[in-house]
Amino acid sequence: MGDTTTFFRSPRREPHRRSTAESPWVRRLLITGALLFLGIFLVMPLVLLFAEALSKGLGFYFHTFRDPLTLSAVKLTFITAGISVPLNCIFGVAAAWAITKFDFRGKNLLITLIDLPFSVSPVIAGLIYVLVFGAPGPFWTWLSEHNLKIIFAVPGIVLATTFVTFPFVARELIPLMQAQGRTDEEAARVLGASGWQTLWRVTLPNIKWGLLYGVILCNARAMGEFGAVSVVSGHIRGITNTIPLHIEILYNDYNTTGAFAVASLLAFLGLVTLVLKAWVERKKNAELRATEIRMTV
Amino acid sequence: MSVEVRNIAKKFGRFPALNGVSLKVESGELVALLGPSGSGKTTLLRIIAGLEFPDTGEGRVLFFGEDVTHIPASGRKAGFAFQHYALFRHLDVFENIAFGLRVLPRSKRPKEPEIRERVEKLLKLIQLDAHSKRFPSQLSGGQRQRVALARALAVEPKVLLLDEPFGALDTKVRKELRRWLRQLHEEIHVTTLFVTHDREEALEVAGRVAVLRDGRIEQIGTPEEIYDHPATPFVYDFLGNVNAFAGRVHDGAVEIGENKFAAPQPTGKDDSAAIAFVRPHDIRISREPGGHATLAARVVYCHAAGPMAHLELERVDNGDRFTVQLSKEQFRELDPNLGEQVYVELKNVKIFPEDYSI
Repeated sequence: MGDTTTFFRSPRREPHRRSTAESPWVRRLLITGALLFLGIFLVMPLVLLFAEALSKGLGFYFHTFRDPLTLSAVKLTFITAGISVPLNCIFGVAAAWAITKFDFRGKNLLITLIDLPFSVSPVIAGLIYVLVFGAPGPFWTWLSEHNLKIIFAVPGIVLATTFVTFPFVARELIPLMQAQGRTDEEAARVLGASGWQTLWRVTLPNIKWGLLYGVILCNARAMGEFGAVSVVSGHIRGITNTIPLHIEILYNDYNTTGAFAVASLLAFLGLVTLVLKAWVERKKNAELRATEIRMTV
Repeated sequence: MSVEVRNIAKKFGRFPALNGVSLKVESGELVALLGPSGSGKTTLLRIIAGLEFPDTGEGRVLFFGEDVTHIPASGRKAGFAFQHYALFRHLDVFENIAFGLRVLPRSKRPKEPEIRERVEKLLKLIQLDAHSKRFPSQLSGGQRQRVALARALAVEPKVLLLDEPFGALDTKVRKELRRWLRQLHEEIHVTTLFVTHDREEALEVAGRVAVLRDGRIEQIGTPEEIYDHPATPFVYDFLGNVNAFAGRVHDGAVEIGENKFAAPQPTGKDDSAAIAFVRPHDIRISREPGGHATLAARVVYCHAAGPMAHLELERVDNGDRFTVQLSKEQFRELDPNLGEQVYVELKNVKIFPEDYSI
């Protein structure tokens, strides 16, 4: 059976030149241009960021992280991501499952709504929550009577982050689940599995890498979100500041090195995400390829 | 267990997939649903499985006389095999087959050793006991379909439903699996319905064949009945390559051009336009003219590879072409030359009124 795997491998990296290939000097020019662009706009800023962060020495660098205000910002960022990512994981799977495995009225509307957080500016996303839960809003009287704070407090930050990062998981899963079709679920159902059993035993194992990929992107954005959170946070130092907001405050206080030190943490998290993303993406594509192979046999 | 559908109608949007289909499959029968794509055969099978529901109305699905129309797939206990197998790719062969047992409610779920025993028995039945730890991606198409069948059989279904079970396989594997399915059915005698667009498959495997067209059953009967006495021109045409001759019915015979052929069961009114159907192997060729009982034709093309020889002939009077099938022996005896004029005699002519289109 060793043959079958090689048999189905898609033909990649053909050694001979294709008719669509450009002449060598055009290729060299294009590659140089691309590398130059990457260097100036991606690599150089990253290097400068770490250089600036360490410009006052390692002592100052670590001192920034011992500052209670920085620690509280890091803590709040992790709390926010820790709540909004699992929530979006559940919402995303539920939405993708509903959209791809069932037919119902208003499906296209739902797909459009899922994209909404991507299409509106994060500032507007933040303002929506200020309007709904803030001072003259419909819930304001009830909320203040019960002494509940949403706006300019942690719940508002979590809500805004959840809203902004909502599409990541769902958008990642919908095409994958569409390609996989419904027959696996149908097979499980005729074998007597309940809806819950079908989800846990068939659907989730089929999409696990796609789901993880979506979660990684969602997490990256949740930790880095600035606009929406900035509107609802109120910038109360040590209480409602996340890492990105804290960086801004440090920068505005002319503590450039401190700002870059904290920024380097965020950049480091981004790099870790990137590596994880690349690895998961390979697994995910294998998942999708497995589907395609099955369809063509 | 008998399976019955009554008056099933199903529309997808505005497209009617089924228009009032009724069918009864007796306990232990092996029935084929045969038809071209779009005839509604797969929809009917999926409705029986509970994967689709008939449009509201009088449509009913009965398992052993019991109304299951509104019971979803998970409650019907029908085994179903999909055209593309739908094996769970993250589970190995053993776990695929065990799936139906593992999802049973705790009170009905067999103990682990019993699951093991039942799966191993099925693995032997499908002759894959050496491959139990393999994953679906490591199996050939034929092996996958056998695993899919074993998985369906593991829950001991009362009804087995197969959707184009061999449709995605190459001819040789198809033939093997067909024979295997026939033997399997003789062994376990589970009521089986299978969908196919391959007439050979239907005629060879099934005890009875239902021919579907445009969401209706055109004819149902044993393979012999269907082949020898097709009820409609559609069935006649779908079951085998066939020659159609335009003519007139007159005095219990059919007139084609200047010639007259005996037609055993002339349907339609006397002295009216009709189409005469003749199968290629029911045509005799000779070099001697037989008066009004033969048609003059010229040999246009011969193809003698395989067990039978195929000739394409062109009528001398109007240039219409038709095909003739001869045994190798007959072909050697006749030894026709291209362009040569011969005389053909039509046997087992079946007449349908002309407005009865294919």
